[in-house]
Amino acid sequence: MSANVLILSGYGLNCEEETLHAFEYAGLKGRIRHINDLIENPKELEEVQILAVPGGFSYGDDTGSGNAFAQKMKLALWEPVRRFVERDTLTIGICNGCQIVANLGLIPGIDKKYGERLVAVTYNMTARYQCRWIDLSVNENSRSPWLSGGRKMHIPVAHGEGRFMMDESTLVALRKCNQVAISYIRPDGSAAGGEFPFNPNGSQADIAGVTDESGRVLALMPHPERGMFTWQRDDYHELKDRAAREGRELPEESDGILVFRNAARYFEG
Amino acid sequence: MAYRIEVLGHEEDGRALRIRNALGGDAGVRVVDVYTSEHKAAAGSTFKSALANPVVQKVDALPQDFDWALEIGFLPGVTDNTGHTAEELLRLSVNDHEGGSTACYSARLYLITGKVTREDIAALAGDLSNRLIQRATIKSRDEFVRDGGMGAVVPKVMLDNKGLVADAVELEINDQELETLGKQGIKNEDGSRRGPLGLSLLYLQAIRDYFRSEGRNPKDIEIETLAQTWSEHCKHTIFASPIDEVKDGLYRHYIKRATMEIREKRGDGDICVSVFSDNAGGIIFDEEYLICDKVETHNSPSALDPFGGAITGIVGVNRDCMGFGLGAKPVINRYGFCFADPRQNPGYFRDPKGTDPMLSPAKIMNGVVAGVESGGNCSGIPTPQGFVYFDDRFAGKPLVFVGTIGLIPRTINGQPSHVKKARPGDKIVMAGGRVGRDGIHGATFSSVALDEGSPATAVQIGDPITQKKMSDALIKEIREKGWYTAITDNGAGGLSSSVGEMAGQSGGFHVELERVPLKYPGMAPWEIWISESQERMTLAVPPEHTEALIAHLARRGVEATVIGTYTDSGRANVSWHGETIMDLSMDFLHDGIPETPLVTTFTRGGTAEAKLADKADYGPDLLAMTARLNICSKEFIATQYDHEVQAGSVLKPLQGPGRVYAETSITKPVLKSPKGVILSQALFPRYSDIDTAAMAAAGLDMAVRNIIAAGGDIKHTALLDNFCWCSSDEPERLGQLKRAVETIYTLAVQYETPFISGKDSMFNDFKGYDSAGKAIKVSAPPTLLISSIGVIDDVKKSVSMAPKAAGDLVYLLGATKDELGGSEYYDHLGHLGSNVPETDGHQNLRLYKLLGRATRDRLIASAYAVGLGGLGVALAKKAIAGRTGLDITLPSSGLSKAAMLFSESTGRVVVTVAPQNRKEFERNFKGYEQCHMIGSVSFSENLLIRDVLSVKTADLEEAYKAPLRGY
Repeated sequence: MSANVLILSGYGLNCEEETLHAFEYAGLKGRIRHINDLIENPKELEEVQILAVPGGFSYGDDTGSGNAFAQKMKLALWEPVRRFVERDTLTIGICNGCQIVANLGLIPGIDKKYGERLVAVTYNMTARYQCRWIDLSVNENSRSPWLSGGRKMHIPVAHGEGRFMMDESTLVALRKCNQVAISYIRPDGSAAGGEFPFNPNGSQADIAGVTDESGRVLALMPHPERGMFTWQRDDYHELKDRAAREGRELPEESDGILVFRNAARYFEG
Repeated sequence: MAYRIEVLGHEEDGRALRIRNALGGDAGVRVVDVYTSEHKAAAGSTFKSALANPVVQKVDALPQDFDWALEIGFLPGVTDNTGHTAEELLRLSVNDHEGGSTACYSARLYLITGKVTREDIAALAGDLSNRLIQRATIKSRDEFVRDGGMGAVVPKVMLDNKGLVADAVELEINDQELETLGKQGIKNEDGSRRGPLGLSLLYLQAIRDYFRSEGRNPKDIEIETLAQTWSEHCKHTIFASPIDEVKDGLYRHYIKRATMEIREKRGDGDICVSVFSDNAGGIIFDEEYLICDKVETHNSPSALDPFGGAITGIVGVNRDCMGFGLGAKPVINRYGFCFADPRQNPGYFRDPKGTDPMLSPAKIMNGVVAGVESGGNCSGIPTPQGFVYFDDRFAGKPLVFVGTIGLIPRTINGQPSHVKKARPGDKIVMAGGRVGRDGIHGATFSSVALDEGSPATAVQIGDPITQKKMSDALIKEIREKGWYTAITDNGAGGLSSSVGEMAGQSGGFHVELERVPLKYPGMAPWEIWISESQERMTLAVPPEHTEALIAHLARRGVEATVIGTYTDSGRANVSWHGETIMDLSMDFLHDGIPETPLVTTFTRGGTAEAKLADKADYGPDLLAMTARLNICSKEFIATQYDHEVQAGSVLKPLQGPGRVYAETSITKPVLKSPKGVILSQALFPRYSDIDTAAMAAAGLDMAVRNIIAAGGDIKHTALLDNFCWCSSDEPERLGQLKRAVETIYTLAVQYETPFISGKDSMFNDFKGYDSAGKAIKVSAPPTLLISSIGVIDDVKKSVSMAPKAAGDLVYLLGATKDELGGSEYYDHLGHLGSNVPETDGHQNLRLYKLLGRATRDRLIASAYAVGLGGLGVALAKKAIAGRTGLDITLPSSGLSKAAMLFSESTGRVVVTVAPQNRKEFERNFKGYEQCHMIGSVSFSENLLIRDVLSVKTADLEEAYKAPLRGY
């Protein structure tokens, strides 16, 4: 069975089209839904298996990135969303979507208690927007279906507020269940250790992405949909040149595709 | 009563860290987000918890251990986006809207500890705020305790209801009084004036004569409308007027004619679809799509409020794209800034007493950079391409160029998408933001020099999210439904311009002005009509579709209102609560402007060439050149501007492992297509000190050459022109202008690269006072920005600037001449010189065709077009980009070493070629005299130019990156 994806839009979300393209390229069927249309017809969530909250600038980041959109969802759409994540479904929040999902309390969802805000995604240490390509390592013990088989990823970040912050106790709990799913690393594979630009925002423990306990909900600041193809990479011209000299074809696909293909596989069984 | 909610950020808040660094020492800073509202629900816990993230923020729990409190909030009527969002949350958290207005206002409070004085805090307030739009309140800890806090400030607009009718204006006055009317505006009852109309005596006489023939005096709104419609900003009178022997004016005779001639010559190969007639120019992208491009300037507003000016610039040009044809989707933004050195402050004032200071170059730069960041990033449009140029003559007015590329299907519902026409009977619908007093007189103000009388109401702040909601609804959902017949944006002149222009298609209009939704009551009709409040589009909607259109927009959180009807009456008619307050003939409105013949003179500038003895080592010179503001890295901008959103970025603003800031980009606007859009831009203002012809040609050549170097096709390349001139009422300045325009006509026709759109800003002058109270005039050098846009068939054939492998051969293509005049090197030495680079279009075109073929055959490993700083800087940038060494031997030329290194002769490209491609590469260039093998990419860590210099690449990289690193 091929799953259906619902990608949210509206109020300044802006990555819905490329996110749809990524899911479709991975073989899934998708639709973009304005949040107001979904509020009008929340039953639509029962017809889909994957919910994606894409990147963007909902409400211009006013009152804290992702906050206002999350409050709107909480006040107008909470029960249908809670029922959705409690089913055997997949949810992903990318960048602004990550901030929304965190403010909504879909992560970390410790003990399946969705709705509690325990993780903040806040102002970069540089207090500057950062658009740059970074290296990530995927927690090999993560149980997230989104990340099966993932080890390292080279994809971009683009955000002004991407710094994960939480109480030590929350971090301990997250680590216990391998919910810290993705971390910033240096190109050589060692930990970023909080150092800019490898960790582009000063995120606690180099955290780039967090899942709920089940791993079915993934919230990450980097953009896998912008790192699907080799031609999107920052080192594309170097890779292309090397491949030409070595007389081989440069692969079309790059690291970010893993996430979307995993989503497709999850529902293939 | 007013409720105040204080949301305290955590100790390590990134925003606090920056301010701590700015204050220096051991100062501590806490940031508090403040919200005020008069609605009682604002005191409730639902609203408070919606505003604060409990993980990192606390509500109403200010720490007590601070020494100073600094609060910055908006003045009444200034767009407060955060306040608007808070209001939405407030509305969501109350079930019914009892308790009056739900309006919310935002402010930011900084609590500061440490050994800092009130003066330090005042200086910080100056850095963080702009007194034209913001208030700053400073309290010591004692004052804070004594007053019981900062106090709840509700910056509500309170206008009295005076002047809510259209006033008659007496035009039967003498010429002197007419001149005063033009310069200072219509007189109020109390004798004060309403602000500049920018109408000359000649224009006012024509207006007086018109109203004589109508047998009445005009109303204020009619005069204001004519002032907007006839402004230099809207009518481009200088480009339209007869000038010397050129009776049809510079625009028709040169720019438009160049495009017509090229299109004719191309025949079936013509790439143009819609040129000069719409909000942007459109060319073919592929079988399915058109791309359109527009570059605007927002210089005057940015001089007063850099952030507001820049953000309204970028979101404004986005609307030009949304207003192209039936509405194009914005897919790429670009920018170009000209500033004075941000490390200095000339300390100019607007008034002789020195009480009204101009903003410092650093403040202007920071604000402008931040404005485009906010506008572009919030709108989800990638900003991959731009440049920054520095010259101290931009201290009076910076140049702020902003551009947007749009994508639109070639046909919509079976009709060509670029064709639109408002029909008689169609309703006039205004969609988007509401109208306030912002931006009154923007169009007339940008057409005059900046001085003490410059109005603060010309300042506006954009609201990109309101616009994004409107853009998504119109372009992605409504456009294909066929609910509107025409669309245009509200920019300069507001409704008076947008409705007036669209009504040109139908033949007239009737607007019921009281229907226009307002931000606050108390606006006079003329203000509503010409307000430049942002985020608005005007549409022509057949009556049967108005209800559906308005309802659909409402579901997307966008307000839209029917404000009138397009007619074929031949009249521009506006009523106010049933009374006619404007009734002009459309012919007079659009064509009544009197012709003003212009005369010009021209004198070539420049000084004697410098006599330079050859040095033994040019290493220190090259390091100093690499660190010059016009050459060094602007990485801090590139990383702040999201160039990856929409996922189509191929050739990025930072290239190679050494991350060199490049001025050419490639982006795929359609992810499923192999094609890409190549963009570049160039300008050479300093060359104007010698000859504006050289200035103009160099810019056009560089904009085209950058496209060729990156793998573009000259046959699929088009141009945009933005003239930013100064003192355009002086014959000498007009002579410089004419020369520049003649030159680009010739060169564009030679290259067969058509102009598709343009804009001019003719008075980039600042009249004020220095710190001693002496009157000064600072004029920007005559500047032509040429922006290029091309389509590359397959992005796999794109070429970046970074060398790829040691052992590759380095070639210099094109002739180097003794042309240091106006160069960065001469400026570094304090010379101007005379030998400014002359552009040989014929020779250049030969090279571009050959290089294009080599690129398509994939023979080029890297390419970089030689620009400011000449060959020496080009080699330095290539070494830095590739983090590699180069081993170079300069070709024998008869030139001095300095000229060979730093001459800025146009038409040159440095390429690297893999050894296995050498034969084929050289065969490709057989018969072309100016293909010079000058060395190789080396295994060393040095840029070695034999007998000239040897510098470590790492040292060059440090010199290149250090100057603007801290910004």
